[in-house]
Amino acid sequence: MLLRRIYQFLIIYCTGIALLFLLKYGLQLSDYVIPSPSELWQTGCTEFVRYCKDVADTLSVAVIGQIISVIFAFIVGIVGRKATWVGSIVKVAAYNVQAYPIVALAPIIFILLGDGFLARLLIAAMICYFPILLSVIGVMSEPVVDIEHFYRCTGRLRWQLEVKIRAFENLNKLTTVIAGSATLAMAGTIVAEFIAANAGIGYSIRIALYQSDLARILSALFVIGITLSVYQGLLEWAGALIKKGWET
Amino acid sequence: MLLSCHNLTLKYPHNSRPVLDNLSFKITKPGLHALFGHSGAGKTSLARLITGELPDSDKFSSGEIKIGNMKTLLYSYNTERLPGWSAISHHLDKITPASRKTQKDDLITLFGLETCMDQPFNRLSLGQKNRINLVRYLVQDFDLLVMDESLANVDERTREKIILNIKTLYPDRFLLYISHNLLEVAKFCDQIIVLRAVTRQPQCIVVRGQDHRGRQSAAQPPERTMLELMNAA
Repeated sequence: MLLRRIYQFLIIYCTGIALLFLLKYGLQLSDYVIPSPSELWQTGCTEFVRYCKDVADTLSVAVIGQIISVIFAFIVGIVGRKATWVGSIVKVAAYNVQAYPIVALAPIIFILLGDGFLARLLIAAMICYFPILLSVIGVMSEPVVDIEHFYRCTGRLRWQLEVKIRAFENLNKLTTVIAGSATLAMAGTIVAEFIAANAGIGYSIRIALYQSDLARILSALFVIGITLSVYQGLLEWAGALIKKGWET
Repeated sequence: MLLSCHNLTLKYPHNSRPVLDNLSFKITKPGLHALFGHSGAGKTSLARLITGELPDSDKFSSGEIKIGNMKTLLYSYNTERLPGWSAISHHLDKITPASRKTQKDDLITLFGLETCMDQPFNRLSLGQKNRINLVRYLVQDFDLLVMDESLANVDERTREKIILNIKTLYPDRFLLYISHNLLEVAKFCDQIIVLRAVTRQPQCIVVRGQDHRGRQSAAQPPERTMLELMNAA
């Protein structure tokens, strides 16, 4: 699972780099536009450790943001699962708000909270929150009739049991959504760092962008990709472990 | 105790034809009774209507259902599942009232399920799943239990043994058995409510079954009741 994710990323990254070099040598572009392989390698070796630290900084914000999102999504999803007026309001609100590009709100957040940790965290959490919420609401509001029927007709179906049954029956779906939302959380944090932060890999990419240094940008993308692949692989592995442990 | 339906009509919203039309029958005493008829005749709908399993049924049904002083009416069916996160024994322990623990153990033995208790539900055969499901309903406090194909995928001999034991253990309860097994219904059930196509009137006919109780011989051969059932359906 973990290795497969890394292989997949390496294949995509190498294909992208190969296409860039094809473009460079095909159109005879200078090293200022697309760096040569040796320059790319040298930059990668020089910046690797620093970018690893930056990505770790970004990832830590993304992970905390994702955890907050998952917790909130489950709370709201559980409240919104019922066909009551509260549930209907929650569902309608979730579907409507998620249609709005949350990243467009980032400038307001930076104005209100400044360009520190909290603003990055909030943007990361907001970006990955709604996809998780929609999945959780979908899972939680869909009865597993064949299992729930007995408990319902004998008066034993408390909300905790209902949530447990629905989560267990849809564990694969929930694990996939949570693993997928890691990308969104990371993207959210990087976008926040592009806009106004003073730390993280997004901030480093912004500096490289101002210097038109594609070698640095490509090196940063490599570290981001590898880190995210490992993180997603770990999430899937944890999901599989939870499922295995829960079933025995 | 009495279970009766009078002029019962049921037409699902968005359906052009009713499922039940002017249906009337009466079951006067507890015991094992049957709902019999072709697929789609309305057996499950009728059973769910009687047990109150159809939400907002008063909006699309009419007629009268009398349940006497019966309080708990349960409907069980053959595709029900137990949660998969722990073994069968754990689930059964949790849903069995303290006063019925011995009864639960007896039923497990009678139904031949001792070896399944440590397994999760999804590792059992279809017949085992159905028997486990029936056990958990039988240990509840009920006045009427509908068993909708509850012994499907169970071999003939075990099924016969289970039916006879249920009849012995629950002589004072209403048990409504839905099955397509003609011989079984004719042989073991007391009153058999035969549901016919909705276009035919009366839509249901009550046939007296053999109500076989083990070794005692039946008053008449089951073939005669079977013929009656086939003609009625």
